[in-house]
Amino acid sequence: MEHLLETIGRNMFAIFGVMALCGATFMVAAKSAVHSVLGFLFTMLCVSGCFLALDAEFLGMAQILVYAGGIVVLFLFVVMLVELSKFKEKGVFQLQSRYAVVTVLVGAAAFVAAFRNMIFGASSPEALVLRPELAKGLDVAQQNAQAVSRGLFSDYLLPFEILSVILLVALVGAVVLAKTERV
Amino acid sequence: MVNLNAVLLISFLLFSIGIAGVLIRRNALVILMCVELMLNAANLNFIAFARHSGSVSGQAFALLIMGFAAAEVAVGLALVVALYRKRDTVQVDDINLLKG
Repeated sequence: MEHLLETIGRNMFAIFGVMALCGATFMVAAKSAVHSVLGFLFTMLCVSGCFLALDAEFLGMAQILVYAGGIVVLFLFVVMLVELSKFKEKGVFQLQSRYAVVTVLVGAAAFVAAFRNMIFGASSPEALVLRPELAKGLDVAQQNAQAVSRGLFSDYLLPFEILSVILLVALVGAVVLAKTERV
Repeated sequence: MVNLNAVLLISFLLFSIGIAGVLIRRNALVILMCVELMLNAANLNFIAFARHSGSVSGQAFALLIMGFAAAEVAVGLALVVALYRKRDTVQVDDINLLKG
């Protein structure tokens, strides 16, 4: 039992990754849009598990908050708003879908063929480090959120501020696009 | 420990599924979801490289990408709603105003 748990803990990334792939496939293949949204939600949760397995605790939690808490709810609202039942008679997939599927499969096979020796080999991850003047009084390996915030607000302050302006513009744009005409 | 190439493989497959969804689905909502999936695959790559180079930059960038994805989905869904009001459809095949 202990051995089993240890194995699961060591392969946490692979488990979540395969689950995310299954969820994504379900999302693309599902006929109903609500099922697609549920597949999307499952995929996002599994990707957040992958983030946690890669020692990005803060981003894993942010992923759950942003995607499961915000974006999935937005999608569900629009799915409920739009009457999808009247499109049922048309096909779900485009005509060229078999070419797309074949292309993706060939690409995946080429990737695996090129890297098959390296996928399961040894790995050499390095511990997270910050510049000494930023890491003052901080255990970088243990306090992921603090480390990310210190990196973000020192080297990436300008992109962060630009992002806030972009979010504001997107907010105004979404309101303008979605409001009823001639108010 | 997690191997870098395994992460790259998973992220590549997620990206491929996203591209396949964008190419083959007709519903604009599902296409938007597939775009989000592709952004997430990119995020996974950023975090994998951050983990394997020991730099915090990758995680900071992944956070920025998450913000961009939220902005993008807000505008995209507003476009879908406006389109539904105007043309009464969300099927991308029926949107051919520019076709002439």
